[in-house]
Amino acid sequence: MKKVGKYVVAAAIMAFLLYHSIYFKKLDDVKKQRQRETFNAAQYARDFWDNQLFRVLDKTVDVKELIELFNTNMNQAIRKYGKAPGVSRSYAYLIRGNGKILSIAQDFLQLSVREPQTNPDIKIASSLYIPGNAVRDASGLVDVSEFSDTMKFNEISSEINKILVKEVIRPFLEKKPKIGQTIRFFGATQVAQDATEQNLFGQVISSSTETKEFQLVKVVPIRFEFE
Amino acid sequence: MAKKLSFCIIMILVLALSTFSCKQKKQQQVGNEKSKGKGKIAVVISTLNNPWFVVLGDTAKERAEQLGYEATIFDSQNDTAKESDHFDNIITGGYAAILFNPTEADGSIANVKKAKEAKIPTFCIDREINSNDVAVTQILSDNYSGCVEMGQYFVKKMNGKGKYVELLGILGDNNTWNRSKGFHSVVDNYPNLKMVAQQTAEFDRTKAMEVLESILQANPDIDAVFCGNDAMAMGAYQALVAAGKAEKVMVFGFDGAKDVIDSISDGKIIATGMQFPKKMAQMAAEQADEYIKGKKDFPKKVPVAVELVTQENITRYTAYGRQSEQ
Repeated sequence: MKKVGKYVVAAAIMAFLLYHSIYFKKLDDVKKQRQRETFNAAQYARDFWDNQLFRVLDKTVDVKELIELFNTNMNQAIRKYGKAPGVSRSYAYLIRGNGKILSIAQDFLQLSVREPQTNPDIKIASSLYIPGNAVRDASGLVDVSEFSDTMKFNEISSEINKILVKEVIRPFLEKKPKIGQTIRFFGATQVAQDATEQNLFGQVISSSTETKEFQLVKVVPIRFEFE
Repeated sequence: MAKKLSFCIIMILVLALSTFSCKQKKQQQVGNEKSKGKGKIAVVISTLNNPWFVVLGDTAKERAEQLGYEATIFDSQNDTAKESDHFDNIITGGYAAILFNPTEADGSIANVKKAKEAKIPTFCIDREINSNDVAVTQILSDNYSGCVEMGQYFVKKMNGKGKYVELLGILGDNNTWNRSKGFHSVVDNYPNLKMVAQQTAEFDRTKAMEVLESILQANPDIDAVFCGNDAMAMGAYQALVAAGKAEKVMVFGFDGAKDVIDSISDGKIIATGMQFPKKMAQMAAEQADEYIKGKKDFPKKVPVAVELVTQENITRYTAYGRQSEQ
């Protein structure tokens, strides 16, 4: 009887040790865990840029038309063309246009896209660092729900911006754009719903004896071409 | 004597079994009661030690009650073990849905999973869990983008140069890293902006004060402090007041909490990121109601944009939202 008792206790101890030595996980859970750990935002952004983005460039809106809508009917602009990944008062737009370079600063060019082309309407970023999500969100191609961790969704924007600096802005700056030249462009912009509550786009918002500051649509370039 | 002892043991066992059986019946009755009225909704909040989360929880509860549910708030006290206990109680308590502010992005997944297995839908609010398969939807502040904007404003206020400290939130919370990375994605491009210290104060006001007091010993000549939430911003400001540096050192927060909004109005704290806890909480309650009524397709993640609040635009905002929404 004592021997049986000893065997039972020994078996119980063995079972306890075995139970805590072996773990079972669902294969799907392991695969998902690995996917989280191995997500490559640079690769995703590369594929986005090479294979997806240019397919939607035919869905861009002419920036002249968009500025008119912003100034006259912002809600319609949002309904027709605006995109946002969730709940937001700011919407992203994919745009195209051509315009005359009126000024060149360190981080941007001011262009006039509306006749008589004497005042600027848009500001195109030409900095070697681009923040924000304009291109990702304006494309409408990246769904936040695809990602278990929203940091990956954010990293994609960061990688897209690095590509556009390297492959759009730098080559453009190397061609040494000049005031008075006309350029054709595709780009993305983010505009707040209440952007035109105080000043319309194209209006002067402050002035001194030397300079005027205008309310401008800020654009992140996807493509530049000299005309 | 032995016979009497055996009899006592048997009576105790019978009593214990009866009590257990009654509890089971009561739980079943509670579960059955769910089908009688609109039901009960549980609101599980990471911590009620922070006024921002109190607003989140209270708003979710209020909206659920407006929609006809009985709502109860559970405080996880930033402890995944307590959170797990709450979920166990919720599952046996016959709740129809859970509005959930997770404690940890990975650690909280198991809790939502067991609720799902018990056929109770979970709606995450503000903080995410790193899984798309267990919660019905996750309504999240777009912290990264909000801090990109904060970073740009920070650079402008600092004129692109100076020394600063960063106080981080809870290290296991995705919000901590979304905010920090958003901020650094901008600020790190300016080599004359130097971060002299980066430390966690766990989203806590008192800890932030203590941490900054300690940092100031080694770095007395900082120009700014970026805090991952408003509670820490208030703590940091307190530390600076005590050190006689509140006029010199700029403080930036994140949340849109009442005390920081008031402080910005008073020209003290420089800026914060307005999250919209009331909006997120109301959305979660409404989506839970829709789910219970039969709607099943919800986006897995819904980012809610954060807005930069500064001394220049403070008149548009009030605590936890915009003036126009009050």
